[in-house]
Amino acid sequence: MSKRLVTFDRAMIAAYAEASGDLNPIHLDDDFARTVGLPGVIAHGLLQMGILAVVAEEAAGGRPLRRLACRFAGVVEPGDTVAFVAEPAGPGKLALRAVNQRGQPVLTKAAAEYL
Amino acid sequence: MTEGRDAAERPPAGVAGRTYPPVTFEIEPERVAAFARAIGADPTRGVPPTFAAVYALGVTAPQLFGDSEAAVDFAKLLHAEQEFEWDRHPQVGEKVVSHGRVASDVSRRGMRFVAFETATNDAGGKPICQSRALFVIRR
Repeated sequence: MSKRLVTFDRAMIAAYAEASGDLNPIHLDDDFARTVGLPGVIAHGLLQMGILAVVAEEAAGGRPLRRLACRFAGVVEPGDTVAFVAEPAGPGKLALRAVNQRGQPVLTKAAAEYL
Repeated sequence: MTEGRDAAERPPAGVAGRTYPPVTFEIEPERVAAFARAIGADPTRGVPPTFAAVYALGVTAPQLFGDSEAAVDFAKLLHAEQEFEWDRHPQVGEKVVSHGRVASDVSRRGMRFVAFETATNDAGGKPICQSRALFVIRR
């Protein structure tokens, strides 16, 4: 099993926005985020998926991923701590999950396959 | 927000099957390193798998969002699901070509579900990555 505990903050979300080019203001501007019904800025789903992929690669022993999929099921805000976990699920397959500090899954239906 | 159609009586027909012109993208080392650091990956270990969020989805989704006929209201958009499948991972310095396509576009119960697929090939036309994004647009 591979696992990472990640506490999200604004700087991390802003760094991902810049590096990925996804500058949607729901990730950068609290006032804008509130106008669309969010509590404030939220982390990109693809930032969460990126961290999940790093954990999946560790569990795959460094072998290249062939497939990665997930559902963005919950909002991740600055201050939230998410456990990203990858476990073997048969030859070349991994079961993945990401759960916040309240025990709520933030990524569901998450799985990976590797060579 | 723009509200140019009588959505209440008649859902938009949707843009299923629509394709967008190919986009060429160079996998630049600085960009890859910044992306790797942003997700907590080792920046010396090449292109992280989910850099496909940039070279595949990231270069083609703006074509959908900027398509006035597709009428995707960005402020009401949720990225609900994502899948990547790789034939191989690209190398730093490589040029890749991505083709975006609306695989399906369905409205039900006041929500619109747009499945957006991106096929990314190498310079020789051989497949690198398939991206499948599901966007949900609230009314």
